[in-house]
Amino acid sequence: MGSAHTSVPRWPTSDPGLDRTGRSYAILSFGPDARPTAEGWHRQVVELGRPVWARHGGSADEVLAELAERVEAARVGWRLMLAGPQADVLAARAVATSGGLLDAEITLLVTDDRHRRVWCSHCDTTTLAEVATGDVTGCSGCGRSLLVHHHVSRRNAAYLGFMVDAETIDGEAV
Amino acid sequence: MTLSVSPRLATFPFPFRADSYRYSTNVEPARVPVETEAGSWGAGILHLDDDYAAELAERRRILAADPSRLQVLPHMRPAAWDALLTVLRELHAQHPGSMSLEQDGPTFVWRNSLLGVEQRFTEGADDSLPGGPLGFLGSQIQDDVVLLDQREGSLWADAGVVTFAADWSLGFDVGMRFLEVHGPVPRIHEEGIISRAERFLMRLQPGEECRRTNWSMSVDRRLDQSTEVYPEWGPDRRAIVDAGPAELARRLHLRVEVQHLIRLGASGAIMFLIRTYLVALDELASVPAWRERLGRVLAELPEDMADYKGLVRYRDAAAHWLLDT
Amino acid sequence: MTTLALVVGHSEEIAPGIRELSFSRTDGGVLPAHPAGSHVVVDCGEGRRNAYSLTNPGADPREYRIAVLHKSDGAGGSGHMHSLRVGDTVTVSRPRSAFAPVSTARRHLLVAGGIGITPMLAHARDAVRWGRDVDLIYVHRPGSEAFSDELAALLGDRLAETTDEDEFGRLLDKALTGQPIGTHLYVCGPGPLLDRVLADAAAAGWPPERLHLERFVPAALDPGREFVARLARSGRDVRVPSGRSLLDALHEAGVAVPNMCRQGVCGECKVPVLAGTPLHRDEFLADDERGAAVMCCVSRSKTETLEIDL
Ligand code: HEM
Ligand code: FES
Repeated sequence: MGSAHTSVPRWPTSDPGLDRTGRSYAILSFGPDARPTAEGWHRQVVELGRPVWARHGGSADEVLAELAERVEAARVGWRLMLAGPQADVLAARAVATSGGLLDAEITLLVTDDRHRRVWCSHCDTTTLAEVATGDVTGCSGCGRSLLVHHHVSRRNAAYLGFMVDAETIDGEAV
Repeated sequence: MTLSVSPRLATFPFPFRADSYRYSTNVEPARVPVETEAGSWGAGILHLDDDYAAELAERRRILAADPSRLQVLPHMRPAAWDALLTVLRELHAQHPGSMSLEQDGPTFVWRNSLLGVEQRFTEGADDSLPGGPLGFLGSQIQDDVVLLDQREGSLWADAGVVTFAADWSLGFDVGMRFLEVHGPVPRIHEEGIISRAERFLMRLQPGEECRRTNWSMSVDRRLDQSTEVYPEWGPDRRAIVDAGPAELARRLHLRVEVQHLIRLGASGAIMFLIRTYLVALDELASVPAWRERLGRVLAELPEDMADYKGLVRYRDAAAHWLLDT
Repeated sequence: MTTLALVVGHSEEIAPGIRELSFSRTDGGVLPAHPAGSHVVVDCGEGRRNAYSLTNPGADPREYRIAVLHKSDGAGGSGHMHSLRVGDTVTVSRPRSAFAPVSTARRHLLVAGGIGITPMLAHARDAVRWGRDVDLIYVHRPGSEAFSDELAALLGDRLAETTDEDEFGRLLDKALTGQPIGTHLYVCGPGPLLDRVLADAAAAGWPPERLHLERFVPAALDPGREFVARLARSGRDVRVPSGRSLLDALHEAGVAVPNMCRQGVCGECKVPVLAGTPLHRDEFLADDERGAAVMCCVSRSKTETLEIDL
């Protein structure tokens, strides 16, 4: 079926522009493709004369941990701008919303969606893989072949994965 | 009523109003009895039947093996307490001879002689109940429960105790918007069914109640068809294809969910109750009108819906058994 | 709309021009529960109905409490409400929720002006009951401090109360720039106060999704004008009086139309329209279907006659 209405995010793939209503800003970008846009946002915020905290690149885990601290300390009026591959943007957005940010306070730009975090519903392990929705990837926990379903949890920043060959008898095509 | 049928059939919520089935925003008022060819259902919200104790034992087993079937995001504590007290009061009102809820200030005593339960607890103190308010609620009714919070112009499935899911995972869906929860369902988004349902539910006022039915099929009397345990039940969908007609009719079940939607008072949450009924085709066939109607629905069901419901492998065989044997 | 017939259990002037009233069932039984910030619609005599915020706790209430400001121009029914005394009977709607706390908020910032304090009292109680972080700024005229003692006892130093415009401005500025990111703001009071709070909040970078105003929603579909349904196939005319649905009028005339929800969402009761202009009030029909069909459980007619294909 078309993915137009599913839980799968359809976020902007070109610069949505700066949200000028904020009082202060945080800008995070992941990967080289996102950097020029993020730097453009950064310049515009500086021109507006508003405070900004920015990170371009770096280890994703460290950036997310630092983001969590920033969210904890942020005051209403704060805006978060995220640019990068879908998997990173999803993960950063989940950190922000669990800290209390609303969609209205987050601007997103997705540069590509080659990678997915896939949650194995059978062993509760999440695997990052280069795989498309509807394709199959191995679970790094239980080793099962998982179908990457067109269903996404924004809270866990993951796609739903389930056993692809449960309904086939050995040797049958999937 | 001229047919003499089993108690299971007499209260079975046969869901089809015509010989073909399509999705719709099929909500109707709760507590209105529906007459069927075999009896009636739906006079009350909660329905305890002969399987009461057995199904609750099954839920206990499932929760012990996989605690993730119970989910309460922290902001849903008031809703969980509201749901518990609302349901216990409803049970007391329906079964005054065997159940009672007594209140003395913040302390309550719940007695349920059908299960041999006497439980004292303090409202708001989660550890005064085994499993907390929602876990305990799940130990007193056969229904699965989802609690939805309303904010930012949406409903959010933020808590639940779901051990009898039909091919979905509460642990994965918890925290999603209503529209996201329904993401995988074909047709309903294009047809505006699900956004209309959400607008309707968001307008339910304190105390208002409605219900709908949903249906699917399953191999064997297996209530737990959560995605988590799909490796256990998925193979049966393939195995049944090779079964003979008698085995097919004995093992294949029509699975119907009666879903109640109740706007809770004090918390403002929506309580979604899912009560699952299973009847084997050979038993269902003792009501000729049902046999024929289910056969026609299965034969006519569009491929995308049959695929979504997991029926593609065996629906032709089932329709054939119902209509032509 | 379902209404409740209740009796006045308490009637007291608690501040100049402000009367607190409580309503209960004659048998003292439990009333329908409701979230904080809910209101009821009360019949105020001469066909007037007003919405009032409930100040009582919403879990298993045995009474509904409201506070009514007397409007000196006499319009709007506040005079009638002020004349109510213990034992009088009143017709009250079931509670309706349109101003509930956001359960995920990291903090609840309440701003009340004058009689706008009433829903905030319920909010403050609910927040304290469930251990939620709450702050209240309360501005009112000197000498008109309804509920001050109760609020001080509930909130302690989380209550900032003032009768001074400038001080209110300073309190507001400080609050708007110092809230943790998950905070939601709730405001109730006179129009100019609402405008000011919303404008200042927007200037401080608050998105509209964090701002909540008390806004009364219509209590039920309005009864609508009478019209005639012309049944094209039989040529019959069916009168649809004000307050009766087209579905019911057809049913009484012996014309059965399938129906289910009776709320304009399920799509069962769709009837083709041949002439006239429907007054659509449903959620079901798509825009491009609205010329040629009507959902007869809720919708009516703009024209005096609506010709339908029945
Ligand atoms: C009027 C209200 C509702 C309508 C019209 C509705 C409609 C539907 C429909 C048509 C399906 C597909 C079922 C099938 O073919 O077997 C479905 C699936 C589902 N519904 Fe609802 N639903 C409603 C309320 C709810 C609520 C309140 C919840 C609570 C979270 C819920 C959770 C689900 C889930 C989890 C699925 C399975 C989705 C999946 O494949 O992952 N529904 N619903
Ligand atoms: S009866 Fe459901 S839309 Fe009219």
